[in-house]
Amino acid sequence: MRAVIYSNFDLCSGCNICRMICSEKKTGGTNPRLALLNLEKHGLVYRPVVCAQCRNAFCLKVCPVEAVYRQEDSGAVLIDRAKCTGCGLCAEACPVCAIVMDKQAGIARKCDLCGGDPACVRYCPTGALELVILGGDKDE
Amino acid sequence: MNNGYFDKFLMIDLSSGNSWEAAVPDWLKASFVGGKGYGLRLLYDLAPPQGDPLAADNVLMFMTGPLTGTLAPSMRACVVTKSPLTGTLLDSYFGGSFGPEIKYCGYDGIIITGRASEPVYLWIDDGRVEIRPARKLWGISTLEVNKTIKEELKDDSVKIACIGPAGENMVSFALISCEYNRQAGRGGAGAVMGSKNLKAVALRGSKPVRVWDQGKFLEAVELAYRELKDNPDIKSLTLTGTASSVPFANEAGVLPRRNYYDGVFEGADEISDFGQNKHLWLRSDACTGCPIRCSKMGYLRSGRYRGTVSDIVEYETAAMLGSNLEISDVKAVTHLAHLCDTLGLDSMSAGGAIGFAMEAAEKNLLPQQRVCGHEIKFGSVEAAEGLLRAIALREDGPGILLAGGVRRAAEKLGVQAEQFAVHIKGLETPAWGPRGATGIALSLMTADRGGCHQRGMPLGEDLGGVPWQGRQVDRLAVTGKAEIVIHHQNYLAALDTFVKCDFGTFGLSPATYLKLYHSCTGRSLEGEEGLQALGARIWNMGRLYNLREGINPAEDTLPPRFGEPLPSGPCKGHSFSRDDLKTMVEEYYQLRGWTAKGVPGEETLKKLQLTDTFCRF
Repeated sequence: MRAVIYSNFDLCSGCNICRMICSEKKTGGTNPRLALLNLEKHGLVYRPVVCAQCRNAFCLKVCPVEAVYRQEDSGAVLIDRAKCTGCGLCAEACPVCAIVMDKQAGIARKCDLCGGDPACVRYCPTGALELVILGGDKDE
Repeated sequence: MNNGYFDKFLMIDLSSGNSWEAAVPDWLKASFVGGKGYGLRLLYDLAPPQGDPLAADNVLMFMTGPLTGTLAPSMRACVVTKSPLTGTLLDSYFGGSFGPEIKYCGYDGIIITGRASEPVYLWIDDGRVEIRPARKLWGISTLEVNKTIKEELKDDSVKIACIGPAGENMVSFALISCEYNRQAGRGGAGAVMGSKNLKAVALRGSKPVRVWDQGKFLEAVELAYRELKDNPDIKSLTLTGTASSVPFANEAGVLPRRNYYDGVFEGADEISDFGQNKHLWLRSDACTGCPIRCSKMGYLRSGRYRGTVSDIVEYETAAMLGSNLEISDVKAVTHLAHLCDTLGLDSMSAGGAIGFAMEAAEKNLLPQQRVCGHEIKFGSVEAAEGLLRAIALREDGPGILLAGGVRRAAEKLGVQAEQFAVHIKGLETPAWGPRGATGIALSLMTADRGGCHQRGMPLGEDLGGVPWQGRQVDRLAVTGKAEIVIHHQNYLAALDTFVKCDFGTFGLSPATYLKLYHSCTGRSLEGEEGLQALGARIWNMGRLYNLREGINPAEDTLPPRFGEPLPSGPCKGHSFSRDDLKTMVEEYYQLRGWTAKGVPGEETLKKLQLTDTFCRF
């Protein structure tokens, strides 16, 4: 099993509170551009784009120094700051552009589900973001 | 800086093409906090006394507050300049995402002076400023400019403020359209932008806003969210925006119909949330950082305007372009509102101006009684649409006549027309007909930018049964309203430094605003009394500016229309006599500490630490 953030795009108001709280928690300051999730406008709706915590994670596969790893219990894909060299290959490989290069710290950053209680989900005023537990262990 | 501020203004002189950063002086921050406070003080200092609002030396400022761009809910930003419509100060507020982006670019405000020699737009990418040619953008609509600039800069995430054709043609009530389709609507800020040959300002910023105490700040934010969620007025805004005010105002008898002739309208339900929900809305939309999501998005599914994608038609627009013109087809009203947005016209003043023209036509006072082949008359959607286009393009005939606003149009048409020219200090009044509500009347008469509904209108006390200091308020009382109005004016002026959205104030308590401010900035405003003192300082600052610009205190009054008794509805027969107005204003001046002539007294200014201004005044 694994926990992921599910996006109910039909409920999203585009308020960006998810991205504001994400940047606040992860960088110590507010700016949606620094968040670890995106918000895309398609026609009449907004679509929150969040890390899928992929089971077949490209970011994990391409990392040359094994800084990207999977946490056993939650299934979350994490980055070991100490190992990360900031080469950017993971960000380049991510199919949903959910990895942010932190130029100042010289590392890659991605959603770690805030350790199991994601702030974006907690702050979302409309229920557009939801933490769900998926099964899908068939091939394991 | 970990205090919500960047302590820098971006200064741009379009005449020379130079731009530079200026440090925000400590005294300004200490006494005026941000937003409206910064704007009014700098307008006094930077704009030449009695200057022409459309001259190169007028100042156009985009101002944020310490809470803009933070997680504090329901915050906005403002444009401050001298109004070409009223000649008074103009502070016009806008939501959306342009305001926060000013902060993310690393500035507390952008101050624009001068005039470019040809059409340009500004591209501000973090600290880099570029003045780019905009000849190709000239003449196109607000939403089209937004799209085109994003394509040119190859980035959808850029935040843009721009003008439409109305701003280019310096229509006195042209707006600035702020990312995305949020308007700095009132008072003609778009005309000032047009006079500077400035089609748009595009922003992209990557700097974070840092607060003083993150733990305490997030506690205050979460408290604020709870207050908003638990408040019934906020719940109503979340469900239906302000559109549900249409039936409320109709029942109270203050919904304008036929250029404010009457206060009730049969088609009220059709243009309210009821009709809009049925024909337009699909989902809620929010400004950056706001959980209220008062806007509703959708498109018209059928009929002549099928395919029109639009925001909610909020109360003021629904009333001014709907009931005031006797148009009850909600799809048509949506179409007219959308047209105002794209042409770049303030829908409130536009509704006022068209209502005036329709009455003038009825009385055979217009030199041209038709527009685009359609007879100008109440109820005609075609005439309203034709007039909107004619005004925005300043076409000969009714277009040019109305492009300067109702006051100038009435001056041209003569004394008879002035009897039904509904404006205060040149600003077309909002959709709250003051007959039957004396507190509302007083707030409109004394509002600093002319007849405005966002300057302490005591809707709750006058119409909603909200007690004032434990007592119910008589909606028709001529005395006792000044203290209520002054309290609200001061309170809102203080919160306009943060910069709040009006709707947030319906749900957030003063204590919560103070907690947000304190944990964000590390500064204290010393409680609710401190907020009153700050608000009074700013209000008096504005008064000094308006007096310097030549505003006559005799203009603290109501237009003649409201001296005529209401013909029907629950307030039937009510009107304001000259004596009523005199009594109300005298009480107001006295409680403000102003002279009988409406000038702030020396003692008052000393108490508010405005004496340096007084010396120069």
